[in-house]
Amino acid sequence: MNDLQLFFLSLFFLPIGWILIAFLPSNKKSYANIFFVALTVALTSIPSINVLMGKEFQYVFPTIKFFGEIPLRIDTLSAWFILIINFTSLTGAIYGSGYMKPYSEQKSNLSFHWIQYLLFHSSMIWVCVVQNSLVFLIVWELMSLSSLMLVMFDYQNNKTIKAGLNYLVQMHIGVAFLSIAFIWIYFAEGSLDFIYIKEFFIKNSNIWLFLLFFVGFGIKAGFIPLHSWLPHAHPAAPSHISGVMSGVIVKVGIYGIFRMITFLQQDYLIIGQIVLGLSLSTGLYGIINSAVHRDFKKMLAYCTIENIGIIGSGVGLGLIGIGTQNPILVILGFSGALLHTLNHSLFKSLLFFSAGSVYQQTHTKDMEKLGGLIKNMPQTAFLFIIGALSIGGLPPFNGFVSEFILYQGFLNGMGSSNFYQTFFMIMSIAAFAIIGGISMFAFTKSVGVIFLGSPRYELHAKPKEVSLMMRLPQYFIVAIMLSIGIFPAFYINLVLNVISGTFTEYSILPSNFYSDYFSVTTSIGRYSLLLIALIAIVYFIRSNIEKRKSSLVSSTWGCGYVAPNVSMQYTGKSYSKTLGKLLSTVVFERKKYKEIKDTEIFPNERTHSAFYTDFFEFRFIDNFINRFLYFMDLFQFIQNGRLQQYILYGLLFIIVVFLGTYLGII
Amino acid sequence: MLSFILVILVSFVFTGVVIRTKSIASGRKGPGIMQPMKDIYRLFRKGAVYSETTSIIFQIAPTIYFSSVVMAIMVLPFGHTRGLISFNGDFIFFAYVLALGKFFSIIAALDTGSSFEGMGASREALFSMLVEPAFFILIGSLGILTGYTSFHEIFMTFHFSTYITYAIGVLVTFVLAMICMIENSRMPVDDPKTHLELTMIHEVMILDNSGFDLGLILQTTNLKFAMYGALIANLFMGNLVWYFTIPLFFMFQFLFAITVGILESFSARFRMSHNAQFILVLSSISLLVFFVILMIMNKF
Repeated sequence: MNDLQLFFLSLFFLPIGWILIAFLPSNKKSYANIFFVALTVALTSIPSINVLMGKEFQYVFPTIKFFGEIPLRIDTLSAWFILIINFTSLTGAIYGSGYMKPYSEQKSNLSFHWIQYLLFHSSMIWVCVVQNSLVFLIVWELMSLSSLMLVMFDYQNNKTIKAGLNYLVQMHIGVAFLSIAFIWIYFAEGSLDFIYIKEFFIKNSNIWLFLLFFVGFGIKAGFIPLHSWLPHAHPAAPSHISGVMSGVIVKVGIYGIFRMITFLQQDYLIIGQIVLGLSLSTGLYGIINSAVHRDFKKMLAYCTIENIGIIGSGVGLGLIGIGTQNPILVILGFSGALLHTLNHSLFKSLLFFSAGSVYQQTHTKDMEKLGGLIKNMPQTAFLFIIGALSIGGLPPFNGFVSEFILYQGFLNGMGSSNFYQTFFMIMSIAAFAIIGGISMFAFTKSVGVIFLGSPRYELHAKPKEVSLMMRLPQYFIVAIMLSIGIFPAFYINLVLNVISGTFTEYSILPSNFYSDYFSVTTSIGRYSLLLIALIAIVYFIRSNIEKRKSSLVSSTWGCGYVAPNVSMQYTGKSYSKTLGKLLSTVVFERKKYKEIKDTEIFPNERTHSAFYTDFFEFRFIDNFINRFLYFMDLFQFIQNGRLQQYILYGLLFIIVVFLGTYLGII
Repeated sequence: MLSFILVILVSFVFTGVVIRTKSIASGRKGPGIMQPMKDIYRLFRKGAVYSETTSIIFQIAPTIYFSSVVMAIMVLPFGHTRGLISFNGDFIFFAYVLALGKFFSIIAALDTGSSFEGMGASREALFSMLVEPAFFILIGSLGILTGYTSFHEIFMTFHFSTYITYAIGVLVTFVLAMICMIENSRMPVDDPKTHLELTMIHEVMILDNSGFDLGLILQTTNLKFAMYGALIANLFMGNLVWYFTIPLFFMFQFLFAITVGILESFSARFRMSHNAQFILVLSSISLLVFFVILMIMNKF
């Protein structure tokens, strides 16, 4: 069976999966879903791995009316993204089967959910394969809609509906941009095949069309100021869906941007600078917001925005490299971006899964209501901490490897003779340092407040460790993460393979690349191992010494106060207050409370709430919408519900038409 | 290897010298130079008290904190000899390994569930975040000047040939010394001998540590001092031969310790709300270094 047949076989199994899921009893549905996802994973991964090994995958379907020729191409870039999508979708399916257990009485809802999951997984893969713009848009739309259905599982909840609508609208703004871009190419070149984008770029200025594509794909990826769907959709979705969405659906946006870069012909430098500048602001903006929010899924969503910024910086760096004819910069930038794409899909899904475990056991997303969960859910806490360490880019985990490659890129670009580039690069390094610092701030806060200390509220039921089905995929992710951290050579070679297959002019690496950059990055694995060994040795010595001594258990030192209670514990809000104050222009704090009037001698019980608003959403989008609505309100008198006036409108209309025809205007 | 051993040797007496300087400056007799080490040794043998709120994190955190600093020290070069770990861009590894230790020390403070320790943790996280860009811009600029990106090569090629590089040397020393003070939560931002938990940073984070763990944390502080001292000394040692550099190294560490002592004796702690501004000033000084270097290299 050849590769194409494998791909179509996966499509053939899709309806079988749907039918089976629909008719199975509700506790078996999720297993059927895992089975069919695994089947699709197997069928689509084999051709992708073949492509990465150097095989070609290119088929063109003969002209079908209206669509024209439909080329299916998998190059190394598509293959890389397909593999990432497959891995995260599979772990998401396995985790989801455990996560959805408590909902087993919602039978029809569950069938719909898992059917959409299958569709969602397949559509993401086909987005990476199809290269006919019309079919691409259809598959893209299928992906957006199926993910919308997945987000809206809890559709009875008003907030979920709102988040879903927000997502729907924003995705279609993105589609509108993509459609305009594709139509432009169609009218200029007369074909829907992606190859003609290249033809277009050869003849015309590159920057405007690329920016159209960038906006279209950037909404999916979550670049600022197009990010505002993420912090709404992720908290609303069930956790395995948030994990998969954050892990891979935003990466499909990155895939789109990469795909368009392969067609670019000129204007590299300016595009690269725009992308790099925007990405760094995205990174900073995302992480600053994630440090102050108390809804832990929202916090993770903002953190996704930050990581998109890091990936985008790699893309921008690579583009600047092409623009300045610096092949090392190209390779460092693109390989950092591609490797970080994989890394982020791993640790972000891990974090969302473990956050979902917390939500399943405690039924709250508010970290201020939690605390001390490490005692009830030690494994989930362990997994979350691993995720937090690697997302902060700390050695010995995988996040450090990709961030280090990007740092190498900045250091390389810094040596340029151009003053502006040197300045840009040093600012990028500083921005990365700040992002790293704030991400440590954000994750020490969430780890500390959710899992450590003592419980802040009495929960309805005592939380306990989640089922093995939910923990297993997370351990699997951790294993892969550690393997990247300790044996980066294998993965970097893969990524170099991807780059040389996609950007053929960079298939021959400069001679000093291996000695100066590659060997350095791979040596990090050894040092990470050394670090782990060192920690193990010190801990071994410590526990041997501790064994011989007596140790006492007592209450926390209250600094002399003898009756401390839980509510005196430091909260997440107070933890991030100083940072929030320092950056109050970006994270604006709003408070809701009723002031006590002079006449109230005995004030009633009242509430006070303070929350942070999204700068772009609050200052621009909401502001614009409110003004627009205010303006439209001026015309409300027209639709006033009085029948007489409506008849009057009709009469006026007839008179206008009559006069118009009479005077020869119409 | 040489730097690793020397830094560890210096770490045994560094705080002793600081404390001795402070006692002389305030006219007291003061403890001997080895007193801090004696305290640590005593702590190593003492039993520990653990809070019932704490978990395994609290037990492993001091170990990871200590190991991360030891790992960072391995990166440091010594004049001619490379550090145990040396590669292009090793200063990034240096900063990130230190961040790993800090991550654990912060969550260990939050693990106690205390109201004070969380406060210290929050400040530590904030201040170390603010100090990061200063360090990266500084070493990055030195990288531009020398054309290399590893500590060893940067320090080997950092000549003091023209007068203007002296100015850079002074600025770099100042920034590094201040970074050291902030990272160790010492005088301008935090007063280690303050009485009030509300105004502490580092000291309040380790309120609940005792016994071996506390000893480990105190030794880590000593190591960190010696580590930054070694960075500063490296700036000036250049590529001299070892019988010059080793005495020079000890002299710089000694001078640095005395400076810390004098600074702590004659200055007062900033108001907590002013610390952020102060730390950001360091970033702008680093930027100044960056621009001076660009000027030297005629890049404008």
